[in-house]
Amino acid sequence: MTRWAMVADLRRCVGCQTCTAACKQTNATPPGVQWRRVLDMEVGEYPEVKRAFVPVGCMHCDEPPCMHVCPSTATKKRADGIVTIDYDLCIGCAYCAVACPYQARYKSSDDTLRPDVATKCTFCVERIDAGLAQGLKPGVDPEATPVCVNSCIAQALHFGDVEDAQSNIRGLLAENQHFRMHEELGTGPRFYYLWDKAP
Amino acid sequence: MKRVPTYCYQCVAGPDLLTVKVEDGVVREVEPNFAAAAVHPGGGKVCVKAYGLVQKTYHPDRVLQPMKRTNPKKGHDEDPGFVPISWDEALGLISQKLVGIRARGLLDESGYPRVAASFGGGGTPQFYMGSFPAFLAAWGPMDMGFGSGQGVKCYHSEHLYGELWHRGFTVSPDTPLTNYLISCGANVEASGGVVGVWRHADARARGMKRVQVEPHLSVTGACSAEWVPIKPKTDAAFLYALIHVLLHESPRERLDVEFLYKHTSSPYLVGTHGYYLREPASSAPIVGGALEAKETHVSLETGADGEVLAEGRLEGETAFAKLVAHMKPYTPEWAAEICDVPAARIRRIANEYLDAACVGQTIEIEGKTLPFRPVAVSLGKTVTNGWGGFECCWARTLLAALVGALETPGGILGTTVRLNRPMSERHKSVRADADGLMAYPFNPTDERHWSARPNIRNAYRSMVPLAADGPWSQALGPTHFSWMFLDATPPGLPRVTLPEVWFLYRTNPAISFWDTAKLEERMARFPFVVAFAFTRDETNHYADVLLPDATDLESLQLIRIGGSKYIEQFWDHEGFALRQPAIAPRGGARDFTDIATALAERTGLLEPYNAAINKGTLGVPLKDFALDVSRPHGVEEIWEAVCKAASRELTNGAEAHGLDWWKEHGLATRPFPRTAWYLFPTLAAKGLRFEMPYQERLLRIGTELGRRLHEHGMTWWDKQLAEYQALPAWKDFPGIWDSGEQYPFWLLTSRSMQYAWGGNVGMQLIKEVADNIAGHSGVIVNAGKARELGIHEGDWLEIATPQHSVRAKAVPRQGIRPDTLLLLGQFGHWQTPVAKDFGMPSMNSLVPMSLELTDATGSGADIVRVALRKAA
Amino acid sequence: MNSLQKHWDARAALNFILGGMGAGLMIAAALAHAAGRAPILLSLVLVAAGLGAVWLEIGKKFRALNVFINPFTSWMTRESFIAALLISFGAAAMVKPQPFLPLAAATALVFVWCQGRILHASKGIPAWRAPQVVQFIVSTGLAEGAGLALFFSTEPLLLTWFALALVLRAVAWTRYAAAAPSAALESPGKALLQIGTVAALALALAGAWFPAAAPLAGAAALATGLWLKFALVTRAAFNQGYALPRLPVRGTR
Repeated sequence: MTRWAMVADLRRCVGCQTCTAACKQTNATPPGVQWRRVLDMEVGEYPEVKRAFVPVGCMHCDEPPCMHVCPSTATKKRADGIVTIDYDLCIGCAYCAVACPYQARYKSSDDTLRPDVATKCTFCVERIDAGLAQGLKPGVDPEATPVCVNSCIAQALHFGDVEDAQSNIRGLLAENQHFRMHEELGTGPRFYYLWDKAP
Repeated sequence: MKRVPTYCYQCVAGPDLLTVKVEDGVVREVEPNFAAAAVHPGGGKVCVKAYGLVQKTYHPDRVLQPMKRTNPKKGHDEDPGFVPISWDEALGLISQKLVGIRARGLLDESGYPRVAASFGGGGTPQFYMGSFPAFLAAWGPMDMGFGSGQGVKCYHSEHLYGELWHRGFTVSPDTPLTNYLISCGANVEASGGVVGVWRHADARARGMKRVQVEPHLSVTGACSAEWVPIKPKTDAAFLYALIHVLLHESPRERLDVEFLYKHTSSPYLVGTHGYYLREPASSAPIVGGALEAKETHVSLETGADGEVLAEGRLEGETAFAKLVAHMKPYTPEWAAEICDVPAARIRRIANEYLDAACVGQTIEIEGKTLPFRPVAVSLGKTVTNGWGGFECCWARTLLAALVGALETPGGILGTTVRLNRPMSERHKSVRADADGLMAYPFNPTDERHWSARPNIRNAYRSMVPLAADGPWSQALGPTHFSWMFLDATPPGLPRVTLPEVWFLYRTNPAISFWDTAKLEERMARFPFVVAFAFTRDETNHYADVLLPDATDLESLQLIRIGGSKYIEQFWDHEGFALRQPAIAPRGGARDFTDIATALAERTGLLEPYNAAINKGTLGVPLKDFALDVSRPHGVEEIWEAVCKAASRELTNGAEAHGLDWWKEHGLATRPFPRTAWYLFPTLAAKGLRFEMPYQERLLRIGTELGRRLHEHGMTWWDKQLAEYQALPAWKDFPGIWDSGEQYPFWLLTSRSMQYAWGGNVGMQLIKEVADNIAGHSGVIVNAGKARELGIHEGDWLEIATPQHSVRAKAVPRQGIRPDTLLLLGQFGHWQTPVAKDFGMPSMNSLVPMSLELTDATGSGADIVRVALRKAA
Repeated sequence: MNSLQKHWDARAALNFILGGMGAGLMIAAALAHAAGRAPILLSLVLVAAGLGAVWLEIGKKFRALNVFINPFTSWMTRESFIAALLISFGAAAMVKPQPFLPLAAATALVFVWCQGRILHASKGIPAWRAPQVVQFIVSTGLAEGAGLALFFSTEPLLLTWFALALVLRAVAWTRYAAAAPSAALESPGKALLQIGTVAALALALAGAWFPAAAPLAGAAALATGLWLKFALVTRAAFNQGYALPRLPVRGTR
C-alpha cells in the first residue's frame, strides 16, 4: 500500500522561501494564500535563543480533522493518503479551516481558479498521478514530485512513500531522529521533521 | 508546452541554471534545470529570486516603450512628465549628445570623462547587457566610478586585501571540506546563493561546526551551531584574541610551522626601521634561519622611494617574531571588555579552531597530496568594509596562515580575481615580484608615476594604490567621492564635474547608496541621464530618456559558467550557458545587443564596436568566426558567432555549435580540476610566499603615497594614510561611530535572501514570500529592550541620527543585542511600483557620506548610531 | 502569542449566539405554559436568523444544500438536519403545541448540543476543542433561552428552570475556564458569574415578589451569555499555532 509523506530536514532548511514561491507559481495561488510556507520561529530568550525555519502546510493526516468536519464531503482522503478537496462540492464554510491544527487551509475570493472554496496543499497530486502514469517515481523523478521538493535549494524537503521500505524517505526516517507536529492531537500527520541523526 | 533552458544571474552568487515552461507563447513557470544537476554544484536549482521572473516579465508597470522627459526641472517632487517616443527618436536624442561629445573630446576641462555609466548588483548587469560592453570598449574613456553601492554594500577590504594576499576578490571557506568555521557576520545563507546554501547544508549534515559571530541572529546565525552576539564593529578585537591564544597560549608546534616558514614571509628579517633587511647585491629579502629569530647580516634596509635607511651589519628580527610581540597584549580578557564576549568563550573558540585544523594531515585530491586544514574564518559585509575592515581581513588571513589553512583543502580560498589579470583564471595571475611574493598591480606611488590628475572623478588611481587599474578598479575606488566632490573637491584634485551623459542599468543608487537624500540632490543636476528601465524607479526619476531593454526571459546572451567565481561558485566543471528568449520581448522592449549595435552605428563606432566583439569582449574571442567589422549585425548573428567560438574553445576545436544547438541544450561544460580551487600548489611550485604576517609593501606604498599627497598639498587623507601598517594595531573602531549619549543604538542592516542584488522589489510574489521572514515589515529590536521601552509589535518607531530620521514598525525579536537595531535589506522606495507601498525604511537614508568614515581603501561601513523612540 | 483564527467572524458567531439562545427559548417555551406562542415564534426566528448569518459567511451560497451531505461525521451537517427538524416541529407547535412543542424542545436541546460539538470538533482552535465547551454551550443556550422567556412569563416553573440553568451554566463555565483558560474570556467570564449568575439569581428570587425584576434577571443572564459566546468565537479563538518539541541540530553540537 502506498502512503505519500513529506520529510523536512530542519537542520538544512534556511527559510529562503523558494518552496513557497515555487508552490505559489505552480499552483497559481492568489496573494496571501501559501499552501507551502516556511515559518521563522524563535525559541528561548536573548542571549540563549535559537531560531529555526519550519516548512509547513497540509500534513495529509491519517485522521484529518478537516475531513471529519466537512459537511459536504468535499474533503476526502485517497487510498494513498493524500487529502483532497472537491472544489465543485465545497460550500466554503471554512469549518475545515478551523478544524485544521496546522493552519493549512485557505479560502480566498481572489483565487480565480478556486474562488471562495477551501484550498490547501495537494502534495501536487496531479504531478504524482501524471508521473505514476508515465512510470515515474514520485520523490525521485522531478516530473512526478511536488514542486516544493523540486525547488528546495538546501535538500531539506523530501517526498516519498512511507510504506515502501526501500523508499528515499524511509531511509531518512531510519537514519535520523524525527517528530511530527502536534502528534498529541492524534491527527497522524504525514509530515516528518528531522532534527538529529539517529543515536 | 516547451521548456526553455536559461540562466539566472540576478545576484553575485550566481549563475544558476533553470528552465522556463512556456505555453501558448506565455511564460508559465520557472523550474530548476534538472539536466544540469550533474554539473551545477547546487543541483541545477535556482533560488527564490528566479521565481519572480514570471511576474517581472508581465509586470503591469513595466516600461514598454522608450520615453523622454518633458519636464526640464528635476527634483524629488517634480513629475518628470515622461512621454512615449519611438526608438528612432530615443536613439537619435542619445546619439546626438554622444556625437557632440566625440567632436569636443571625450574628456572635459578637468580631465574627467564626459560620459559616465553606473551598473549595479556587483557586476551582474553585464550578464544581461548583451554586447553593450563592446560599445563601452569602443567608446573610450568613460567614468564608471559613480557609486551605487560599492564600498559600502560590498566586502571592500576583502576585495582589495584578499586579492593582495591570496588572489581572493571574494574569500570562501572550502565548504565541501571545512569542518570548523568562524563566521564573523558573513551571511552565507542569505547571500551565498544556491550553491552556498546547498553546500553549507551538506557541511552541517557532515558535522561542520559553524560559529556565527554577529550582533543579531541572522538566518546564517540561525543555521549555525553557535551564536556569539558580539558588539558591533569589534570583530577585529575578537579575531586578535584568537590569534593571541594561538601564539601565546598554545605550543608553537601546534601551528603549521613548516607552512609559515616555507610558504609565508614570516621568516623574513625586519630591520629597525620596519623594512626587510635585503641582500646588498640582489636586494632580495633575507630569510632568517628559524621562524623566530634575531640575526645580524651584512644587509640593506630600504624604505619608501628606494631610500636606503641603513646598511652594513644590521640586526633584524623575523616578521614572525615581530608578530608574536605585536599580538602579546591582545588577550581574550582584553577582547572580552571590547567585544562583550566572555574571555573563556573566546579562548574555547580559539582552541576549537586549533583542534580542528588537523595540522600535519594531508589529503589526496586528483592524485595530488595536499595539506588538509579544514578550518576557516569568513567575514561579512560590515566587518570587511570601512574602518576596521583591514584589521579583520588581516587577522582572518593570518589565522589561516598560522595553521596552514590558506588556499589549502578545507581552509579559506580566494574564489576569483577582479583586479589582477587575467580575470578568468586566478592561477595565471600568480607572478613573482622581486621579493619572492606574489606581484600586485598597485597603482604607482613613486614620484615619477603617481599622478594628481585622476582619470575619473573618484580618483582611485591617485588615492588607493590597492585598487589597481583594471576594468573593475573604477568601481572599487572610493565611489562616493564622485558624489561628494561634486559640491566641494578637496585641494589637489581637479574640480569634480558633472558628467554630460550618464548611463544607468540595473542600478538604483537613489535607494542603494548611502546618504540617499544628498545623492538625489546631486542627481537632479545631471544634465542628461539615459536609464535602461524595467519600471520607473527612484533613480530613473531623474532620467531624460528611458529605454526598455528586453528582460531576463526575453533576450539573448552567452556567458561563462563554472570554474571558480564569486563566493561559493567554485565548480567541478566549467563552460558556457545561454540565456535565450523564452518569449518575444513584450511591447517595444529591445534586446540589449540590438540597442548597443544601434548606438555604435549612430555614434560612428561600428568598426571598433565589432572589433571589440571579435577580440573577445563578449567573453570569448571570435577568431574564425569574426564578424565583418564594417556592417551592423543582428543579435542572433552576433551570438551565433560567440556560440561557435565558445564551442570551439570548450571542445579544443572539435565542435562549433551554433545558436540553435545552444538554444536546445542551454549549456555545455567540461571538467574543471578541483585542485584549481587551491592557490597554494601554484605558489609552492613557483617558490613564492604568501605575504603574511608582515606588510612591508603596504608600509612602503602608504609612506610613498603620503609623501606624494603632501607634496601636492593634500593633507585631507592623512587619517587614511595611518592605515598602512606593517602589523595593524587595534584602534577604537566602534568609537569612530559614536554620536553621543542621545544615540545609544547601533543600527545595522543585513541582506535579505529574497531581495539581495535582485532589483526585484517590485515583484509582489517576492514581497509576499519575504514577509514570512522576520524583519521584512519593520525594524528588529530586542524584545527585552522593547518591553523596557514600552514598545509593542507593530508600533511605529522613529529611528534618528543627528541629521535624519526614518519611521519603521517595531518587530521585537529575541535574536538581537539589546543595543542593536536591524533594518533588513534596503527599501525606502517612493517611486518603484509595489515597493513604494511597503512602508519599510532603509538605513541608507541615515548613513552619512563623509571623509571621516572612509577608510584607506575608500570604503565605509554600513553602520550608524541612532536614537529610538515611539513615533508620535 | 498565536494568531486569532480569521475564518469565522461575527457571522459565524451569530449562529452560536442566535441559534443557542433560540433553542434555549424553545425549551423554556415548553415549560412556560403561560407565555403562549410568541416565544415559539421568536425561537424560530432566532434559529433561522442564526442559520441565515452563517449562510452569509459561506463562500458558495448557492451550494448551501451540500451542507446536508455528511451526517456520518460532520456536526455541521447534523446541526443542519436538526435545525430543519427544529424549525419543522416549531412551526407545527405554533399550530398544535401538543405533541409538537415538547418535540421541538427536545430537538432544540439536540440542536444546541450539536453546536457545542461543532466547536469541540474544531481541533485547530484550543479554546473550542476543549471537551468542556459542549456543556457550556448547551447550558448557556438553556440559560439564555430561559432568560429570554422571562420577558414573556414569570411563572414559578420557568423561574425555577431559569435558576437551575444558571447554576448549570455557572458550573459548566467554571469547568471550562479551568480546562481552557483564556485572557480574552476573563472579563466576559467574570461578568457571566457575577452579573449573569449571582445577580441574575438574586433578581430571579426577587422576581417571585416583584415580577418586574424577573426580566431584568433574564436580561443579565442573556447578555452575559451572548457576550461570552461572541468572545469565544471571535476573540478567544486563537489558532493552535506551531511548536517544536525538538530543535534542529545545526552541524556539530
